[in-house]
Amino acid sequence: MAFTLPQDKEYGGEWDIPEEYQNMENPYTGDKSLDRVGKMLYTKHCKSCHGSKGEGDGPKAASMSVKIRDLASSEVQEQSDGVLYYQSIIGRDDMPNYEKKIPVEEDRWAVINYIRSLKEK
Amino acid sequence: MGIMKKYILLLLILPGLTLTGAFAQDGEKEDIPVRAPFESGYLIDNQTTQIPIEGTLEYVIQHKFGTMENGLSDVWGIYSPGANVRLGLNYVPVNNFQVGLGLTKKNMYTDLNAKWTILEQTRENTIPLAVALYGSLAIDGRNKNTFGTGKVWHSGEGTKEFDIVFSDRFSYFSQLIVGRKFTHWLSLQAGASFTHYNMVGSVYDHDKIGLHFNGRIRFSMQSSFIFNYDVPLKIKSISEQREWVDHPKPNLAFGVEISTSTHAFQIYMGTADGIIPQDIMMWNQNDWTDNGLAIGFTITRLWNF
Repeated sequence: MAFTLPQDKEYGGEWDIPEEYQNMENPYTGDKSLDRVGKMLYTKHCKSCHGSKGEGDGPKAASMSVKIRDLASSEVQEQSDGVLYYQSIIGRDDMPNYEKKIPVEEDRWAVINYIRSLKEK
Repeated sequence: MGIMKKYILLLLILPGLTLTGAFAQDGEKEDIPVRAPFESGYLIDNQTTQIPIEGTLEYVIQHKFGTMENGLSDVWGIYSPGANVRLGLNYVPVNNFQVGLGLTKKNMYTDLNAKWTILEQTRENTIPLAVALYGSLAIDGRNKNTFGTGKVWHSGEGTKEFDIVFSDRFSYFSQLIVGRKFTHWLSLQAGASFTHYNMVGSVYDHDKIGLHFNGRIRFSMQSSFIFNYDVPLKIKSISEQREWVDHPKPNLAFGVEISTSTHAFQIYMGTADGIIPQDIMMWNQNDWTDNGLAIGFTITRLWNF
């Protein structure tokens, strides 16, 4: 008999991030006017999997084939804004693409800024 | 009556064209549309100026239970036989234009509809309002014997009878919607509409002009209070009757909307048992001041292609 328990799930493999994203600058770094926007967009689009504090414990997390990283963890937070942008907006596999759901650049960066703010909490 | 209809259509379209021209000249600084003035294209019984991005397919389930007047005996209408349901599909072939198809239980309506958001309110207020046009054509699909012996025409030379033809089943609804997102928590809309039924009973009018007022008040990140109020107007100059019998009653509905990335859930109490707008504006006899409220809900699901 083979059971897969949630704790047996593994994180997804290394991301293959295109160079243009690795070096991408966040034009809205520190823009406090986007704080509420980032939180609203995170709540609407991300919370169901990533959880209200980004700990990867949202109600849909259990149905994912991979374990979701804690967004406040150093593994996530050590990455550049451009890399976070690629992972969050372009996505891969279970992490869907959000280019059409969040079509405006300013709003996308607001989400990245919100992910950054999770580190401080 | 034909001239009247053209005049009303012109009134509906002209403001949009004029505004488009006026704001196009201010295009020096790029000003992008405001963030979601509404969470969905639906607001209880009404449309919002919101249209999802190009390539989006939307599936909609709209359901209304019977009126709540019998209380616990039919669990406030949930067990009532007077329920109505509509299943709809909408698609956005190009940005700001949507086409849709729906099937409704009441009168076995099949409706084809289209919505065009002519103007979107912008973040820097270059365009202060959103403006949309919505049109719906519905076909009453009930068995022919529902309509009795056929049409009767009374004139000074006596009475003539005609068979029912396919186009007698058609009804139309056209609406101009103007909306504004005032703050991140308050969006309001007003609208004017024209409803036409190709065939009605002899004591009713074929045409009805109406006014609409609706909005959302957000009270949390994902939840809003929503309401709509639709008023069919008593206008003597377009009426065919000396006195109105069973003139349609205003439709009031209010409830809560919860939205996620791909869904909007609306649960509400409202008066009209109809779901498509022409039915609400022409046939609603439920009165919210007299036990006419019923529980209803709407669920939308989006897919991006």
